[in-house]
Amino acid sequence: MPCSMLGIINATNEFDTFKNLTAHRSLASLPFAGRYRLIDFMLSNMVNSGITNVAIFTGKEVRSLIDHLGSGKQWDLDRKRDGLFVFSPEGTSRIERFGSFAHFAKNITYFLRSKQKYVVITNCNTIGTIDFCKILDHHMETEADITEVFHNGQSLQTYILDKSLLLSLFEQYKNQGYYTIFDVVHDKRHKFKINMYEWAGYITIIDSLQSYYQNSLDLLQPTVWKQVFTKNEPIYTKVKDEPPTQYKNAAKVTNSMIANGCIIQGEVEKSILFRSVKVGKGAVIRNSIIMQKCQIGENCILDGVILDKDVKIDNGVQLLGTRETPYLVEKGTVQKGS
Amino acid sequence: MGKKKQCVAMLLAGGQGSRLSALTRNKAKPAVSFGGKYRIIDFPLSNCTNSGIDTVGVLTQYLPLVLHTYIGIGSAWDLDRNNGGVTVLPPYSETAGLRWYKGTANAIYQNLNYLKQYNPEYVLILSGDHIYKMDYSKMLAYHIDKEADVSISVIEVPWEEASRFGIMNTNVDLDIIEFEEKPKDPKSNLASMGIYIFKWPVLRTFLEMDDKNPESSNDFGKDIIPLLLEEKKKVVAYPFKGYWKDVGTVGSLWEANMDLLKEETDLDLYDRNWRIYSVNPNQPPQYIAPTAHIEESLINEGCIVEGTIKHSVLFQGVRVEEGSVIQDSVIMPNAHVGKNAVIERAIIAPGMTVEDNAVIRPSKNNDAVILYADED
Repeated sequence: MPCSMLGIINATNEFDTFKNLTAHRSLASLPFAGRYRLIDFMLSNMVNSGITNVAIFTGKEVRSLIDHLGSGKQWDLDRKRDGLFVFSPEGTSRIERFGSFAHFAKNITYFLRSKQKYVVITNCNTIGTIDFCKILDHHMETEADITEVFHNGQSLQTYILDKSLLLSLFEQYKNQGYYTIFDVVHDKRHKFKINMYEWAGYITIIDSLQSYYQNSLDLLQPTVWKQVFTKNEPIYTKVKDEPPTQYKNAAKVTNSMIANGCIIQGEVEKSILFRSVKVGKGAVIRNSIIMQKCQIGENCILDGVILDKDVKIDNGVQLLGTRETPYLVEKGTVQKGS
Repeated sequence: MGKKKQCVAMLLAGGQGSRLSALTRNKAKPAVSFGGKYRIIDFPLSNCTNSGIDTVGVLTQYLPLVLHTYIGIGSAWDLDRNNGGVTVLPPYSETAGLRWYKGTANAIYQNLNYLKQYNPEYVLILSGDHIYKMDYSKMLAYHIDKEADVSISVIEVPWEEASRFGIMNTNVDLDIIEFEEKPKDPKSNLASMGIYIFKWPVLRTFLEMDDKNPESSNDFGKDIIPLLLEEKKKVVAYPFKGYWKDVGTVGSLWEANMDLLKEETDLDLYDRNWRIYSVNPNQPPQYIAPTAHIEESLINEGCIVEGTIKHSVLFQGVRVEEGSVIQDSVIMPNAHVGKNAVIERAIIAPGMTVEDNAVIRPSKNNDAVILYADED
C-alpha cells in the first residue's frame, strides 16, 4: 500500500551566502550535479516514496522555478487526482516565514481537500536519498505526534505529522504563541510527543557557496555518487533533449561528471560539466563547476572556478580560485583576455 | 472527426529489418538504437515536428511491443496533441477476418479511414528505416509549386551503387518518366528515398485501384509508382541534398554510427534549430573515472567509464570497467563491459554483458563488423 502522505516543500529559503548564484533565481532552482536543480532531489524523493500530492511553497523569485517545474510531468505529478501544487506569496504582502501557520492557513483549502492522513514537510536544499515511507513507519510505531529527521545530529528540517494535528495547530497558533512548526517542535512546554529520527544514508545540505562547491565535487567520489544516484530511486528533472557528449581527438577527461550535449576538445579533471558546454582546444579545467551552455575558449586555464550559465571565456584566459573561495563568474558574462 | 489538416504523415514502421539479425529479434527495425541515444524512428518523427507536421499515423506490424511502448502518446516528439498528434496503427481484424498489411501500399489502404478523419490536402508517406534530417515543409512547398500529383524525394547516390536502389529516370524538369527497381544498368543515379507526397484524392484513387488488382504486391515502389506513370499522372522528383542512410544491415548501422564521429559530419545532432527528440531515459550525467581514457567518442548520460574508449559510441547506462579497451565499436544501452576486455569493430547489443578478459574483434584480414548478442 502506498503511504498516505502529503508532501510539502519549503522553497522560500534564501541565504545571502551564495553571492550572485542566487541573485536571479531561487535556491530551489540552483543548478546542481550536471543536469539537475536542487529541488529535484527532494521532489524525486517524494515521488519515489509513493507521494502523489506535493505542494511547493515558493519565495518571490519564481520564474526559473516555475519554468523548471512546468506541469510536474517530469516527476509524474501531472495528475487528475492530486499532483503538483505551487503556492507563491502574494505580491503585496511581505513574505511570511515559511512554515508560518499564517502562510499555510492562506492555502487551507488545499489542506482540507487533500485526502492524505499524514504530512511530510521538508526543504528544497537537501541532497540525498530519503525514503519517507520508512520514516512514516517509524513515526507510527513510536506513536509520536511529530517526527523530526536528523542526520549526524543535525536537523534536516524535515517533519512528519498527522494532517489533523497540523490543521489544529493552524487554528490555535495565536493563543499558544506558535507561529511556525519549528516553534512547536522546539517548545519544551507542550505535551506533544516529538520523535527524533536519525537518517543514516548519505545526505547533505547546500546552504552556502562553499558548501555548494564542496558538495558538488564530493559527487566525484564513487562512494558518494553511488548513494546519490541509485538505480531504484532515480532523480527526475526537466528534459532537455541534448545529444550525447562528444569527445574530440584532443580531449582528456578524468574523474569528472559530464552531462549531455557537451563538445570537449580540451582537458577536464575533477570537474562537473553541465549540459551543452563547449571546451576549446588546449583548455584545461580542474576542480571546477561549469554550468549549462558555457563556452570555454582555446588554451584557457580554469582551476577552482564556478561558471554560472551562459558564460563565455575568451581564448587564453586564466581564472584561479581556491577550495575555500571558488572563483565565481556571473551568469551570461564574457571573460575577455588581457 | 478531426479538424481538417493540410498535410498528414503516414510513417511505415512495420519492417522487420531481418538483415539486422539479432538486433531485430525482439523489435521492429525502426526501434533499433542509433547514435548513442536515439532509435531510428526518432529521425522521421523529429523531422515531422520540426517541419510543422503535427498529425502522424505510425503503421506497425512486426513485433510492435517495444515500438508501441516507445512511441506512447508521442510526448517525446511533442506529438501528444488534442487534435492530431501521433496515432499508432497496427493491423486489425474486421467482420471479413484479420488482415495483415500485405505491402506498404496495402498498409496505407487499410487505414484510409484514419486519413478520411482529417480530410487532408496532402499525404506525406515516410519510412521508419532511415537516418536523415529533412524539412518536409520545403518538399511540400515544392510539390505545391510544381502542381504535382505525386512528389518523390530523391538523392544522388554514387553511380557504382545505383543498382542497389530504386532509381528514378527524369527529364530536365525533374518529371519522373521511368522508375527502375535495382536496375542492372542504371540510366540515372537519383535514388528514391521512400518519401512521397501525394495529393490526397490521387492517393485514395490509386490505392483503391491497386487493391482491386489481385496480381499486385501492394507496394509503393513496385506497384503504385509504375501505375501512376502508366496513367500519365504528374510525378516529380524532389532532389534532396544532405545525409541520408539506410541502416538496414549490421555493417551499415555500424558505419552510420561511426559517421557521427567524423570531424566534419553532414548529420549535425547539435543543431538547436533541428533537434532530434527521443524518449528520455532519465539517467544521471556520465561519470568518467580517474582511470578512464576517452578519444573521439560519443557518450550518453548514465554511462560509467573506467576503461579506455577510442572512436566509439556508448549509449545510455553503459558501464565499462577498468583496463578494458574499446575501439571502433558501438555499445548499446545498458551493456556492461567487465575488466580488461578488448572490443574492436563490434556492435554490442543492448543489455549484453561482456565478461572480464573477453576479446571481441574480427579475425585478421576480415573487415566485417561483429555483432555481439544473445544466441537465441
